[in-house]
Amino acid sequence: MAKRNSLSWNDKTREIIDKRLNVPREPRFLTPVEFAVLEAIADRIIPQPDDRPRVPLAALVDDRLVADVGDGYRSAGSPRLREAWRQGLAALETEMQARYDRSFTQLDPSTQDLVLKQMQKGELDHAAWGTMTAKEFFKSRLAHDIATLYYAHPAAWSEMGFGGPAAPRGYVRMGYNERDSWEAAEASEGKEDQARKDNARVGR
Amino acid sequence: MQAARELNRAAAVLALSVLMDSAIEHYRGSFKNKAMFTPLAVSALALGVSAHGMRDQRAVTHGLRNGAYILTGLTGAAGLAFHTYNVMKRTGGINWQNLFYGAPIGAPAAIAMSGALGSAGERIRHYAPFTPAHIWGLPSGRGLAALTSLGIIGTSAESFLLHFRGAFHNPCMYLPVTLPPIASALMARLAWLPEGSRHPWTRLWLGLTAFLGFGGVAFHAYGVNRALGGWRNWRQNMLDGPPLPAPPAFTGLSLAGLAALRIIEAKRLV
Amino acid sequence: MPVSAADPQKTPRAVEGRAPDVFRIGGWVPMRQYAESEEVDFAIVGTGAGGGTLACKLAEGGFSVVGFDAGAYWRPLEDFASDETEQSKLYWTDDRIVDGENPLQLGGNNCGKAVGGSTVHFAMVSLRFRPEWFKSRSVMGYGLDWPLDWREMWKYYAEAEEALKIAGPVTYPWGPKRPRYPYRAHEMNAAAHALAKGCEAMGIGWTETPLATVSAPRGLSSPCMYRGFCVVGCSTNAKQSALTTWIPRALKAGAEIRDLSMVGRVEVDASGKATGVHYLREGAWRFQRAKNVVVAGYAIETPRLLLNSANPQFPNGLANSSGLVGKYLMTQSNQAVWGLSKDEVRSYKGPPSLALTEHWNYDDKKDFFGGYAYMSQGPLPAMWAKTQMSSRQLWGAELVRSMQDYNHVVGLKMVGEMLPQERNQVVLTGEKDQYGLPVPKVTYSWCDNDKAMIRHALGFMRQAMEAIDAHDIFDQDDDTNHLYGTARMGDDPRSSVVNADCRSWDIPNLWICDGSVFPTTGGVNPSLTIQAIACRTGDRIKAMARRGEL
Ligand SMILES: Cc1cc2nc3c(=O)[nH]c(=O)nc-3n(C[C@H](O)[C@H](O)[C@H](O)COP(=O)(O)OP(=O)(O)OC[C@H]3O[C@@H](n4cnc5c(N)ncnc54)[C@H](O)[C@@H]3O)c2cc1C
Ligand code: SF4
Repeated sequence: MAKRNSLSWNDKTREIIDKRLNVPREPRFLTPVEFAVLEAIADRIIPQPDDRPRVPLAALVDDRLVADVGDGYRSAGSPRLREAWRQGLAALETEMQARYDRSFTQLDPSTQDLVLKQMQKGELDHAAWGTMTAKEFFKSRLAHDIATLYYAHPAAWSEMGFGGPAAPRGYVRMGYNERDSWEAAEASEGKEDQARKDNARVGR
Repeated sequence: MQAARELNRAAAVLALSVLMDSAIEHYRGSFKNKAMFTPLAVSALALGVSAHGMRDQRAVTHGLRNGAYILTGLTGAAGLAFHTYNVMKRTGGINWQNLFYGAPIGAPAAIAMSGALGSAGERIRHYAPFTPAHIWGLPSGRGLAALTSLGIIGTSAESFLLHFRGAFHNPCMYLPVTLPPIASALMARLAWLPEGSRHPWTRLWLGLTAFLGFGGVAFHAYGVNRALGGWRNWRQNMLDGPPLPAPPAFTGLSLAGLAALRIIEAKRLV
Repeated sequence: MPVSAADPQKTPRAVEGRAPDVFRIGGWVPMRQYAESEEVDFAIVGTGAGGGTLACKLAEGGFSVVGFDAGAYWRPLEDFASDETEQSKLYWTDDRIVDGENPLQLGGNNCGKAVGGSTVHFAMVSLRFRPEWFKSRSVMGYGLDWPLDWREMWKYYAEAEEALKIAGPVTYPWGPKRPRYPYRAHEMNAAAHALAKGCEAMGIGWTETPLATVSAPRGLSSPCMYRGFCVVGCSTNAKQSALTTWIPRALKAGAEIRDLSMVGRVEVDASGKATGVHYLREGAWRFQRAKNVVVAGYAIETPRLLLNSANPQFPNGLANSSGLVGKYLMTQSNQAVWGLSKDEVRSYKGPPSLALTEHWNYDDKKDFFGGYAYMSQGPLPAMWAKTQMSSRQLWGAELVRSMQDYNHVVGLKMVGEMLPQERNQVVLTGEKDQYGLPVPKVTYSWCDNDKAMIRHALGFMRQAMEAIDAHDIFDQDDDTNHLYGTARMGDDPRSSVVNADCRSWDIPNLWICDGSVFPTTGGVNPSLTIQAIACRTGDRIKAMARRGEL
């Protein structure tokens, strides 16, 4: 984010990233109940560190649902984007009520993980899922949407060392272990200080 | 004497061109290897002693100066070996990719040439004006002509390589691969002929080649500006765009050629 | 930078006698316009690799041309962000249903919706077919023969390469001699060097990838800045897409482009000739009269439009007497092997594939039909997260942890030939999309030969990765990419939809000119071949017009 005002970001990029960072935190498409379940799921799909502001994943998913832009395909049996999320969250809640007599949000984290693992393997099979399998929901909607939205956020880019937006300024040094002065350095063991010093200069 | 100082000047221009060029290129290479500072140091040294030589009117070889030039020449030679090794060890060895984007062969050669020219100047200075100096076993004028002929054709070859990489997308890019080779041929002819006659065409052509060096900078500046973001994005475009300091190498070498010409033509008067 | 007020996805830009100047922020170029009542020589549906190229060739040949595209007319310099999510505006994201044993992933993966088509966000790899593939049935014993001769295609490949100023290696190691690429190859990034090293260790050839992005200035295109966002649209115009090459030329020659114009139906009169197209623009269905209609919407939209244009005279859809419209859909296998290098690779820098090997396209000692190439890769973050999830089933802390190795990732990705099968197809369903048009269903299953090739490629690429000491190697075994084949060309009206000139057998003034006409896929990326075919079609149409055969 330090590079926001540098030549690595064009105006269009600044505009849309600003919009993303300022995404409304209240649900606009989902109901508050659905939103709370989504928040609980997002915490498990992408656990976030406590030492920085959290990326509001549920809000970003909700924002995508407001825009209602699909992926350009869905498997036979799955409804469109909005209905898929509605139906999937509802089916999960119904199955949790049937199985544990409580909401997903009230389960402890390890049970939540267990449930998600079962969903991934297709082991949730309540009738409420209808024609869309739990496995398909996990793969194409739940994990897919949450993780791709997370890795579209500058906080995630910093975490993984991605150079981030790059235009009009691109890159020059292309070879092994080469880094432009406007890219973040990696902190290898024993060299954290050097990396920190280098990285202080990256924003230019 | 005059010729010797002109050679100092030629060495200076060449050293300046290399200094800037290697500063940019080795910065791009992030000075990954400590040895990458060497060409900066020696070309700065060559530049310094050349400036000194240009003002020096005495007809004796300056030991330190000459030493510095020899050091420069040797460093250039070492650099040449090092860059060649760098190209060879890249995946694929000697292929176009590595010649285009690996360590340039021409740059260290120019350092060596700067040293050689300066050192030649020192010798001429020493013998002038009475005893004819010898370079490579040739009388000094002809020897120097041979040296510049080689330098110009080498530089032209380098610019061919880089302009080929740029697909000669602008017709002007053919200039540095057509004009200088003629200058080089003319100088080779001088190295062959006995000294003492006048060569106005050669003089003219060398002047043209010298001018090309300046014109080239302007063209390269235009080239940098055509990249995205133009000069505003100088941190990238100075590195990725056409090298600004490269063309003056032609100027430096042409100046050396003119010095050679002066010696050769002077023979007539003696 | 002034950003245009109106949203180019809602309000058409190519109106009032002008079209956006793709090279200037806020700029315009003049555009000729035709009245709907005027019978234009050619109405072209789709302005991508096929339609954009043909529009240019025909306009330059003196025909009146209107090109329709459902997508927006972008100015990359002002409209494109360095961002995967935002740039999904370039993709065809309309509703489609996928089915079969190996359902395809569509959308951004292979379908564009913009003036310029999929080439606006393609990866620019520009390769020629191996000559034998044009006769794969008679020479190599599989698939079927094309009605085209490779020597003639070689000429049209050269034309396309010149038009796009392809930057490629000084000499290409495989296949018959080809002219030198107009521009020199780009500098290889670390990921490309990794591919080269692997190939050398395995004793096979490699080369720099010929790419449609300039390595030196060209007109108003500035050279590639190695920003690596190519597959979400190039904001610098280094990329030589249909949007920045053929379409500006077409406009100059007098063509009109209609953006945000979705064609829903091709009209055919009682005499069995096409008379024009119905299209939706600014909320209203309109009709453009035309002497000829060209369909170039790519391998799903082309059959969808032909099938949806059915009428009492052609109840099974237009040009479908063979029953093959929508059938023999093909994709290419796009599996990969990924691993980590101890060195920093940062493969996000530069175009995604800077080096490749076509070894297995030209080596016939294999126990399956067809060939494949493989290339170096540079996935962007969200794409990489997707790969981790689909191939390794990662999520949660494991995913976050593994994403941190991003800068060390190296990968090799295949582009492999899949065989034509009748069961792989596009059909219409009863559901309707936002235009009120029937949603297509796309069915796909791999055959044994496809699977054998994937096995071979994954095994070989893994060895190549091991040879360069990559660690934590894993296979990505589910990916496919380019589309082909739903309106195949041939010599026989009973077994093909169009002839060698892309002219439909059933309706003489209906043409199909895009990726749909491929009878087989070959083991290289399609766009250069699509453009070469379009160049040829343009020349053939001009020749036929001269002889009065249109
Ligand atoms: C991410 C990605 C990377 C790729 N990388 C490469 C690569 O490196 N090398 C390569 O060779 N190929 C690559 N491709 C494939 C290549 O882009 C396509 O094969 C090629 O563009 C297809 O050309 P086409 O003319 O058939 O269709 P397209 O280029 O897709 O054009 C079709 C156009 O028709 C329009 N359209 C469709 N239906 C209608 C309608 N009914 N009314 C109005 N308009 C309509 C669409 O909006 C679209 O703009 C890539 C594709 C993608 C998506
Ligand atoms: S790497 Fe080059 S072609 Fe790709 S987006 Fe950047 S400038 Fe465009």
